Amino acid sequence: MKERTPLITNTKCECGHQNPVGTVLCEACGKPLDREEQLSSGNLEMRYDGVARRSQRVNPGVIDLVWNFFSSVKIAIYLIVLTLLGSMLGTIFPQESTFLNIDASTYYPEKYGTAGEIYYKLGLSHTYESWWFVLLLVLIGASLVICSLDRVLPLYKALTRQKIRKHRQFLTRQKVALVTELKEEPEAWVARMVELLQKKGYRVRTDGAALLAEKHRFSRWGPYVIHIGLIIFLLAVLARGLPGLNMDQHLAFPQGDTVRIPDTTYYLKNEKFTVEFYTEEEMPKEFRGKKILPKLYETRAVLYECTANCTDPSKEPQLAEVARHNIQVNSPLSYNGLKAYQFDYDLTPVLRSVQPELINAKSGEVYGKFKLDMNNPQRSFQAGLYTLSLKEKYMDFGLNEEGQPVSKSPYPNAPAFLFLITGPDLPAGGQQYFYFPKQVDKEKFQMTAINDKLGGSGRFLELEVGGMSDVDFSESTTYLNIRVDRAMPFVWIGAGIVMLGLVLGFYWQHRRIWLAANHGELVLGGHTNKNWFGFRREIVSILAKTDLTVDEKSLDNGGGLA
Amino acid sequence: MSLLDFSSDVFIAAFFLYSGSFMLFTIAIMGRKWSGRKPEEHTARWGRIAFIGSSLGLICHLAYFFTRWAGSGHIPVSNMYEFMTFLSMMIMVAFTVIFSIYRKIILGVFAVPVSIIVMAYAAVFPQEVQPLIPSLKSIYLNIHVTLAALGESFFAVGFAAGLMYLLRTVDFASKEKNDRKQQRLVEFTLFSIIVIIGFLGSVFAFRGAGYETVFVRSNVTIDSPGQGDSTIEKVSYKMPPIVAPYHSEIESFQSFLGMNKPLFEAPSWMNGVNAGRKFNTVLWSLISGLLLYGILRLAVRKPLGRAIHPVLDGIDENDLDEITYRAIAIGFPIFTLGALIFAMIWAQVAWGRFWGWDPKEVWALVTWLFYSAYLHLRLARGWQGRKSAWLAVLGFLVVMFTLVGVNLVIAGLHSYAGTD
Amino acid sequence: MGRARKPVQIIILFVIILLGGYAIGSSVFGGDGKLREGGKAPSFELLGLDGLTHTLDEYKGKSVVLNFWGSWCAPCVKEMPALQAQWEKWKEQGVVVVGINVGEDQMTVENFVKQVDINFPVVMDTGRDAVRSYGVSPLPTTFFINAKGRVDSIHIGQLDLSTLDDQIGKLVKP
Repeated sequence: MKERTPLITNTKCECGHQNPVGTVLCEACGKPLDREEQLSSGNLEMRYDGVARRSQRVNPGVIDLVWNFFSSVKIAIYLIVLTLLGSMLGTIFPQESTFLNIDASTYYPEKYGTAGEIYYKLGLSHTYESWWFVLLLVLIGASLVICSLDRVLPLYKALTRQKIRKHRQFLTRQKVALVTELKEEPEAWVARMVELLQKKGYRVRTDGAALLAEKHRFSRWGPYVIHIGLIIFLLAVLARGLPGLNMDQHLAFPQGDTVRIPDTTYYLKNEKFTVEFYTEEEMPKEFRGKKILPKLYETRAVLYECTANCTDPSKEPQLAEVARHNIQVNSPLSYNGLKAYQFDYDLTPVLRSVQPELINAKSGEVYGKFKLDMNNPQRSFQAGLYTLSLKEKYMDFGLNEEGQPVSKSPYPNAPAFLFLITGPDLPAGGQQYFYFPKQVDKEKFQMTAINDKLGGSGRFLELEVGGMSDVDFSESTTYLNIRVDRAMPFVWIGAGIVMLGLVLGFYWQHRRIWLAANHGELVLGGHTNKNWFGFRREIVSILAKTDLTVDEKSLDNGGGLA
Repeated sequence: MSLLDFSSDVFIAAFFLYSGSFMLFTIAIMGRKWSGRKPEEHTARWGRIAFIGSSLGLICHLAYFFTRWAGSGHIPVSNMYEFMTFLSMMIMVAFTVIFSIYRKIILGVFAVPVSIIVMAYAAVFPQEVQPLIPSLKSIYLNIHVTLAALGESFFAVGFAAGLMYLLRTVDFASKEKNDRKQQRLVEFTLFSIIVIIGFLGSVFAFRGAGYETVFVRSNVTIDSPGQGDSTIEKVSYKMPPIVAPYHSEIESFQSFLGMNKPLFEAPSWMNGVNAGRKFNTVLWSLISGLLLYGILRLAVRKPLGRAIHPVLDGIDENDLDEITYRAIAIGFPIFTLGALIFAMIWAQVAWGRFWGWDPKEVWALVTWLFYSAYLHLRLARGWQGRKSAWLAVLGFLVVMFTLVGVNLVIAGLHSYAGTD
Repeated sequence: MGRARKPVQIIILFVIILLGGYAIGSSVFGGDGKLREGGKAPSFELLGLDGLTHTLDEYKGKSVVLNFWGSWCAPCVKEMPALQAQWEKWKEQGVVVVGINVGEDQMTVENFVKQVDINFPVVMDTGRDAVRSYGVSPLPTTFFINAKGRVDSIHIGQLDLSTLDDQIGKLVKP
């Protein structure tokens, strides 16, 4: 199909109407303007009703050329196909973004060999963030705007200024056409038709014995509504990247802890995390004993907002509860644009505090009990007559290359505490005592041996935990994905408009029937943008009611059936 | 469990009703020349019976669906078996809708077998009811999957009509270069369908015979210098191994036609433990496909396209062209809503991001872009008839890759859909 | 057709170029929110070992060497003497060395400071806010911030005396 019409043509129609450059069918009477076209007898080109697109003009400048480029559907299709191919390339190997911590430059060659290396070097490991992919989306956006503008305005004008009486050729060269004998009096017959057409939902206008019936014109705006929706969608996606509109972080919430959400004034408490698995009875026979399927991940979460002392780290912030929700995989906590999604969990218990008793290992006498926090512990404790001052603290006890005690990580995996104890029956300078709250560590690091060395043979004091009630630990840790996405409503609005346009454009059809009755002859032309089959059937059924029997197939004037 | 038993019984009934109605549709078309009646009368009469049969099949299929839903407590679209059976049901729904608009008996000859093949493919997967994992527990499972499948089913009907258009219009007698090319492409399309049938045939044949051979492979992965970690992986072949997994050993081997060791080993780049097995399946499908194709060729003594061509004699090609387009035009908005918009809504609720460039998401987008290119080419560039029909055929290939290929070849977040 | 057509076309094309440029720009440069050399150093508000709240603004007009460390990280421990030496050498010339401890409690930090014997200002990032805003992943990471508040250079890993000296020298006399 030719996109450009010859530029030097007489654009004045014989009916006297002056048409703009690029017009295919006269805007007034519908007669083809091109001489060659006038002599042909094929179907008329009814795209955009034969009107000129805005971009078609005599002497295009640079701006016009750029505009023309984007207004071409051919270019739009190329862009769609390129995006399609580009998207496919990105699925060959997993994208970098699917991994949390990898060095992409070594990961791809190691995992996928030479192909992986080439893939990485071509930048396909981050296809969807690459400049060329974003450029394609931008070009599609430009094409959407310009294509639509270029067509919708002329089409709107053409459809609102339709003349009822058209050139005979315009009618007979429609894809649905009929020329037949009419025995009745034309005006009366047309009047009868008006009623019948109106019953079928057509809006009918008459001009003597000529008639134009039209229905569901709104369906013509469907494609443009889709395009508007897509533009809003793309703009909303772009807006997500603006600072302050978007936040995305993965945070750990040990059970029972209240954790501040960075960059906000919110705090979230994980009251309890639950993970459940399907029982044997709930599983199909084939799976029993073979597979374990999770049933539920749930975090009982409370969201607090800070009301005072929020930014000053030297003061304790004051919190007020604002929301409470049991977060599950398909049920995030949502408050004021902030959302918390269940993301991951860890069932390793984390020690929070212990309450050891200071006892006399020889006599069994208990001197006193105190609470020892893993984080920010008190510096000195009183147990009966004894004072314990905390000298050193190691969260993850170990020895460095020089054999000195160090902490290997900031996490309380193997906590250890060095106390200086003063009190009765102890040396004047006090006695040092190493304390490992975890039983495994006591054995692993030989606590008794260390303390024997530090306190000598006469040592009689020990720290011991009475029972599990004196140990406070968080049983598990839940990982939540905390998000703010202020542009989301616009994404949904865009998607909604696209859907509206699709329904308008695809489930209704713009149908028009032109009728001219004179000299005992009836000329009928019909046009629809879709579903010619149904349209022909409708015309036949209407004509049948005026005692005109027409075969469905005889209405078919050949040509494709768009 | 009786509800589930009933469910699988009516499913089998649906399968046989579809097969029967396919034969009736074929008789309606093929028999018009030799039946005593007028051809139109014959076609109308047998076509009506065939449509009643396929509708009864659909009722049974729906009964399967709802009883399984009731029996399992969740909508049966949560694994590959359930999804494929659902898809085949939706193809029948789409067929019924298009058939009631156009009343073209011939459509049954081509659309019903598509549904039957998808149904048979479903049976390749394990069929037991599986409880839902937390990420699938959502109302959006119902909406997203059902709408996406319905949209894709209309594309399937478009595919059937497009293929019919090609079989109707390609000049099979011509020796001209362009016509020869068209003939070969049609033949290749038919051959591909036969390979799929061959795949199904070999799966069920070897399953029926209870064939199994097991390979083991020990993998040594080196996490950090000096610290090796070795794992043992087992692969069970349900078809005689023509090709063994890369670097593997035989644990048990059931001989087949005197073959008692694999003919060769998979190349090193197929390093996944299941890659060898999948490759073996592909080889068997090709072998049985070729065998089947050869037998058919011997039987009809000419290319299959040329053999089918006369069946479509007298069918209006413009009607076929319009059916193709209409099916796609009906399916496109449904597909957009189900496979993209509700997918995004669900992804937003479950994962906090509406779009993550997961392979399945990308391929849904690829499908959407493909059909939007189709619509633009047709509506604005006048691509109708032949070109449009080829696009409809190709489009369904994209759909099937999105549904099946992505799970088999590329793993992603949707991989829990489970594959063979 | 309308006379306003050309200006409308120009405006639309201009908006497209603007938005498109922004889209491509943000996908190619940053977007991951990481701080780069030449970027403005984000401010922070953290509790110091002295019990007072410290911010980056306090050191306005001075060159700042911002060192992120943890007591459990061996290279951090090893580079402390170099930092202390340079702090003593340059503090009269408008250079401040600030240590930011990542996520540990006061006692650990106090003991550490005493043990390695440093006396430059140390603040505690218990909530890892500065870590996030500076985009720090491995420790130690050191930011050299010039008097205008811009990041002159970023050093990841252990620093030795001479590199530190060179970097500070560059910071003071560009």
